[in-house]
Amino acid sequence: MEDLKEYFNIAIKNIKTRTLRSFLTILGIVIGVFLIISLLSLSEGLKSTINQQLQAMGGEMIMVMPGADMFSSMIFGGAKLQKEDIEAIQKAKGVDIVIGYSYTGTIARYEGESKQVAIAGLGPWKEALDIFSVFQGWSLRKGRWPSKGNQILIGQQVADKIFSEKITAGSKITIKGKKFEATGILNSLGSQQDDSMVYMNMDVYQDLTGEKRGTASYAMAKIEKGADENVVAEAIEESLKETRKRRLGTDEADFSVITSEKMGELAGNILGIIQIVIIGFASIAILVGGIGITNSMFTSVRERTREIGIMKAIGATNSAILSIFLIEAGIIGILGGIGGLLLGSVLAKVINYYAQTDPSFYFTATVSPWMIVFALVFSLFIGCLAGFLPARHAAKLKPVDALRRHE
Amino acid sequence: MSSEAIIKLENVWRTYQLGKTQVYALRGLSLEISPGAFVTIMGPSGSGKSTLLNMIGCLDFPTRGKVYLKGKNISEMSESQLAQFRGKILGFVFQEFNLLPNLSALENVILPMVFQKVPLAERKEKAQSILEKVGLKERIFHQPSELSGGERQRVALARAFANDPEVVIADEPTGNLDSVTGKMIMETLTDFHKKQGRTMVVVTHDPKIANYAEEIISIKDGQIVENHSTAQEYLWKT
Repeated sequence: MEDLKEYFNIAIKNIKTRTLRSFLTILGIVIGVFLIISLLSLSEGLKSTINQQLQAMGGEMIMVMPGADMFSSMIFGGAKLQKEDIEAIQKAKGVDIVIGYSYTGTIARYEGESKQVAIAGLGPWKEALDIFSVFQGWSLRKGRWPSKGNQILIGQQVADKIFSEKITAGSKITIKGKKFEATGILNSLGSQQDDSMVYMNMDVYQDLTGEKRGTASYAMAKIEKGADENVVAEAIEESLKETRKRRLGTDEADFSVITSEKMGELAGNILGIIQIVIIGFASIAILVGGIGITNSMFTSVRERTREIGIMKAIGATNSAILSIFLIEAGIIGILGGIGGLLLGSVLAKVINYYAQTDPSFYFTATVSPWMIVFALVFSLFIGCLAGFLPARHAAKLKPVDALRRHE
Repeated sequence: MSSEAIIKLENVWRTYQLGKTQVYALRGLSLEISPGAFVTIMGPSGSGKSTLLNMIGCLDFPTRGKVYLKGKNISEMSESQLAQFRGKILGFVFQEFNLLPNLSALENVILPMVFQKVPLAERKEKAQSILEKVGLKERIFHQPSELSGGERQRVALARAFANDPEVVIADEPTGNLDSVTGKMIMETLTDFHKKQGRTMVVVTHDPKIANYAEEIISIKDGQIVENHSTAQEYLWKT
């Protein structure tokens, strides 16, 4: 062990004598590890945010979307839930209230300025407001809840950012030629998308957009107290299938019933894939950093061939030379790991700072202990792996040839 | 005598392939050096004296023939045995000093002891005492680049003595030094030889250096041309 200490000493001095090159080599690893840590910490943060939101649904809300594949309908839209569908959901055992939700993009005019905004219709309006207040954390920053047909609710982003003039409670806005009163301004809902919406009564929305009455882009069902969400979800599915069969003569299920549990699972799966992709990309970055180490170490071995010859002449075994160079590569690797970890943690801190001060900033970042361990072990491993070939090359040099080398 | 010889070469050939030509560095050279001898190997450049020294130092191996060190054939030794021989039995002094540039004088002297796994406290104390003996007490923490040529060679001597080697091998130890410093180095080597009874093998082409030796081997074209049991005899002839 005592000789290892001395080898460390030699390795550190070697690294120090080529400060710039060592720094650049370390930087290669720093970037790789930084990439891994920052991306992973973001996706961890995203995971916990999603979990929080799902917990807010608290196992009491079930979503029904048209289309058998929830993602294609989310992305491409188009399909609608029909009036009969919504009635079928309402009829299912264990369902308390069904809220329809539709949205589209349109042009709004405010203070002589026209901008693209997203409008959403919710209905029935009063129940929707109750449910959204409880489960989505809706609260008013200013004004009061709209109750009449020409009154609308403005998301925080729409109020503050979209128009050059800020929208305040009581402002008049024209949407599709119809005048509305911005009765209430919402506090941030914690999601950029939700904050960029203008909310109105479903009936008003459908009159405005020409959407068929009674339909909806998707529906949310609140289940009765004490009911099991999975049982209710099955009941909804059955009820919908029955309606379809009666109406269209097919029992093909072209709708998705999603419980918070299922949503959590789906989100978990997606995040899992995202994390794998991230690790894949970041691994490439680290691999490049590793090649940097190999390159730097080979150069170092070349430059120090004579020194290797000297060490062998005074009694160094092959394994001693191998150890010295492996330690050197390992130190470079782990320094890169520490650097990347520090930078990644600083980024996570900055993100969290913004998340705390600006509620519209949706992301949080979490650096978990396993990430720290992973980053350090991985960078050490990469360093040693990258340094192995040059180190072995150094160890196998014949002393007489090595000594003959003049720089 | 052969049973006592610490170094013995039997019909040693060493050839190199340089492109298409075969270069003969040593041609059937045989030699015996007894323990405690002070031998100088002399010869013009390209005569094969450095190759001979490398063989004795276990740094190079014969193409044909046998080299015995303490009765062991170096071509049959394992890599770790060779390392042990180089570190423990032999001490090297080079013309270009060959100190590790990143290490201090003290660390350079400690290094051979590290490779021989001498305990930490012991190796430090010993290195300090040897450096003191060669007159570098005040310079032990200096890097080689901060030392003069003579000081560097004294550090190299201290390093060669670190593991109490039975044989000290020096390749033109004064070649890069002025005559006064060179004399000092030779006196240190002679002192070590006399006081500790160690075997010295010194390669040089400087007759003045040969003066310190008890035996002078003169080689040319990879063969021994003359072997004089006394330096005076050789010097008389030149």
